[in-house]
Amino acid sequence: MIDNLLRGDAVHRAAYIDPAVFALEQERIFRRVWLYVGHESEVPAAGDYLLTRLGPDEVILTRREDGGLSLLHNRCAHRGARVVSEPAGNTRQLRCPYHAWSYRLDGSLIGVPLADGYANAKELRGLAAVPRVESYRGFVFASHAATGPALADFLGGLKSAFDNLLDRAPAGRITRFGGSLRLEYRGNWKMFMENAVDLVHPGFVHRSSVEAARAHPEAERGDSVTQQGAQMFLANGMRAQQWDDVPLHAFPGGHVYMGGFYRQGVIAPQREDPVFERYRKALVERHGEEKAAAVLAVDRFNNLIWPTISVNARFGAMRIVRPLAADHTVVDVVCFRLEGAPEEMHELTLQFVNLAASPASLVASDDLEIFERCQRGLADGANEWIDMRRGVLTDRRQADGSVVSSGTSELPVRHQFAAWKSWMRA
Amino acid sequence: MTDVEALVLREARLLDERRFGEWLELFADDAVYWIPTKPDQASPHEALSIIYEPKSLLAVRVERLQRGEMHVQTPPSRTVHHVSAIEISDLEARSALIVAEWRNGESRWFAGRVLHRLKRGPGGLQIVLKRVDLTDGEAPHRAIAVPL
Repeated sequence: MIDNLLRGDAVHRAAYIDPAVFALEQERIFRRVWLYVGHESEVPAAGDYLLTRLGPDEVILTRREDGGLSLLHNRCAHRGARVVSEPAGNTRQLRCPYHAWSYRLDGSLIGVPLADGYANAKELRGLAAVPRVESYRGFVFASHAATGPALADFLGGLKSAFDNLLDRAPAGRITRFGGSLRLEYRGNWKMFMENAVDLVHPGFVHRSSVEAARAHPEAERGDSVTQQGAQMFLANGMRAQQWDDVPLHAFPGGHVYMGGFYRQGVIAPQREDPVFERYRKALVERHGEEKAAAVLAVDRFNNLIWPTISVNARFGAMRIVRPLAADHTVVDVVCFRLEGAPEEMHELTLQFVNLAASPASLVASDDLEIFERCQRGLADGANEWIDMRRGVLTDRRQADGSVVSSGTSELPVRHQFAAWKSWMRA
Repeated sequence: MTDVEALVLREARLLDERRFGEWLELFADDAVYWIPTKPDQASPHEALSIIYEPKSLLAVRVERLQRGEMHVQTPPSRTVHHVSAIEISDLEARSALIVAEWRNGESRWFAGRVLHRLKRGPGGLQIVLKRVDLTDGEAPHRAIAVPL
């Protein structure tokens, strides 16, 4: 089946629209790969728990008394009721509201009412635990599969995205904050991951916000929120040649990052204003001049960890794609506080996410519209194949197995489908 | 009807009539339009916001709505902002809002509580803050183009 969906540098439209393909993705990709479930700062103390998702399943991330993490299916071992219904909290035990079966934070059964009436109460099971849970520098990942690549190997060349985010915190710690923004579209999950590193679309899809910002030059001199918004909108207005100069770097496993393209004002990678100077100084105190300079010199925009994560280390933001059906996707957007950095930096982070990733964003709303148009269009079988050859002549394979390409290349699409194919076939 | 109530109703109607330029003019120069994600959110620095825009940035949003090349408004939405249960205390108005939106063959609804904070200037009554607390600010939303 899978071999019939990829042909050279084209993919069959069924990869986006066919529910049978989506079901196979659930089985072969989402029940096997490492998926992000949360950040350790969300469950800092013993007894803390967080309701989250692992693929299609709702799971509970708990901090045990011994300091370790467990990830449990939120389904009572008795009649199947959801045990936890609060999004987060702290507790000594998890207790089902239906018949009061109670569980330790590692999911093991403490007891059931009327245990004497069972012939074999000792054999009753606890909450099912997810077989693999592992943390990379505070980012917690899990896999439904008992075996598979180690987390560090899976993240591969894009571990650097998390490293850079951590390295940017003068106190060496980051904390999830600010709640989340959630986007929804009637389209396939892969569209989001492809579009996040498609550097030709901004010139067309985001033209309305570019032109609107150009019509209001005074906005660039406005208050800090207005300045940031105007600068972010205007940045999407680069010419094709300038987008070409933004590097795309693809790593084994389907991961890709794109270089930064914010050049001016409060969104520039390095600034000279007093807030940034205070921040730089704090960073130098932690790392020393040389390393601090190297950390700040990492200028990337979206870091995509296939299949479902996009990290923007510079702005402390992360998007997690949640595939719900072949034609239905939710994206959760979260952000992190760089501990030890000036408060103003965190305001910049919140504003960045509000402006770039809200469903009401002048930028993201046009992306969502395009995803839905693609999904509707692909239902039409007039042309079965979707071409992905743009820029193929600019791909340059590196000694470490990664591939670098000009910004306008469709390298990320080809690369993501290569990873998709290897997981889907096996 | 008081002039405060009249302003709240006119503000909603201008959105439904897509008279976005005139809608923007109802806001004072130092006004803010805010849709927080969390109920009881005290500040935009505490949590993410669906929209947090000073008037100067709201002007860019309105500019975009008035231009033709905005994909997410091609075709445009039709909306009804249903404002009710208005309570007025001096220069503050609290109301209940339901927005029905039809676009591209589909209908959807938003519901929330609205706070209008107003001031009297030389040109009359102006909005200083419009805050919309959605019932489901933390839920996933499809693209939102017409202000609520």
